[in-house]
Amino acid sequence: MLSEESHLSDQELLLCVDGELQAPEAGRVESHLAACWACRARKQEIEASIGEFIRMHRRNLDARIPAPDGPRALLKAQLAQLAEPPRTHWRLWWAAAAACALALAVYPIFLHSMGRPAGRVVAVMVPNPSLTPGATVLVDQSEVCMESLTKNKTVPVALQRRVFDEYGIRAATPAAYEVDYLITPALGGADDIHNLWPQAYTATVWNAQVKDTLEDHLREMVCDGRLDLATAQHEIATNWIAAYKKYFHTDRPLTRFH
Amino acid sequence: MQRMPGSPTESNAVVALSAPAAHAAHALSGVEQEVVELFDQWRDPLLRYLSGFWLAVPDSEDIIQEIFLALFQHLRGGKSRENLRGWLFRVAHNLALKKQQRTRRSTIVETDSFIDPGPNPEDQLATSQARKRMLAVVEALPEQNRWCLYLRAEGLRYREIAEVLDMSLGAVSHSLERSLAHIARAAER
Repeated sequence: MLSEESHLSDQELLLCVDGELQAPEAGRVESHLAACWACRARKQEIEASIGEFIRMHRRNLDARIPAPDGPRALLKAQLAQLAEPPRTHWRLWWAAAAACALALAVYPIFLHSMGRPAGRVVAVMVPNPSLTPGATVLVDQSEVCMESLTKNKTVPVALQRRVFDEYGIRAATPAAYEVDYLITPALGGADDIHNLWPQAYTATVWNAQVKDTLEDHLREMVCDGRLDLATAQHEIATNWIAAYKKYFHTDRPLTRFH
Repeated sequence: MQRMPGSPTESNAVVALSAPAAHAAHALSGVEQEVVELFDQWRDPLLRYLSGFWLAVPDSEDIIQEIFLALFQHLRGGKSRENLRGWLFRVAHNLALKKQQRTRRSTIVETDSFIDPGPNPEDQLATSQARKRMLAVVEALPEQNRWCLYLRAEGLRYREIAEVLDMSLGAVSHSLERSLAHIARAAER
């Protein structure tokens, strides 16, 4: 018969739950548990605490972990650079020059996508103004504020191809981008190549979801009469990130874990 | 049809957007492929572990990149493949400590971000007072205890945790026991 003194400690129970007990000790603990309701109940309480913690831990973090596509693409690009074998041939200089050019191009994409300043920031999160200045259809405030205009529109595939061609993105890379409207149709943006740009999936901070939030906010302001439509269109076309910062009074997206 | 009069001042977007194309054609070597596969497998667990250092997410993503580039060098150098999981978390831990020292108190993630109830009513309901209390308890744990708990949550055995945190096995089990006792009390109240 077991006495009160022989009850298992919480530490023994935790080691048992975690499968960390060695053979002779594990047998003793198992035998005790088979005989002792109190210790079995305590073991269940410990398991319940673990369950509670894991549920909270995952719930609070998993939904906020950014999509892996951008970081994976960046890792592949950096691995490719690291994997470059050392050469003695004169072509080494060309390889070095190409690697430097790539680093200058890719690193700002990464830094900018993380929402922090880089030394020479290349405008990868806003479109090239000469290719995508923005274009609108002739609508007024009342038409824009009709419910039917608020739905997201899909860009026709043929138009997507033309956008990629314009931006010099070759056939192998379009999967890294989403063709997006610069001025959303919900604010009178046109189905026109001058209003479409390839938004890089490498963006983890200033991404499409953040831009959607801005679009919704501007549309609300337009429909409430707090902002005129032309100004909203102009600001989003000029620099949507600057517009976001201006209208949300922040330097970073308000929702985290984009 | 109207053209917008304004335009961004930055240029070179075409160059930058086209840049990844240069590497799209690069065929991954065996080791590169292995590293990318390990990235896919371990990025999320590592990010969850790094959340225990209160670093901003972009800083944690920086660390993840560093870890897997170091892993590439490690594997390419023919070094041990034994317990790569422990290796990944040990490197993550050391890099996070360095980053934490550099950025301490400047880019600390606001704790409120972890108690956001989420967009739907079900999530909001689930974010009960008990859950908030538990979260507060976990956040208030001494760092070592919190790291122990987070590593165990990612499936590391006590011996692996001891190696990552440079603790004894006994200290690991004491730490976990204490943390779980705090969590249990928070859930009961």
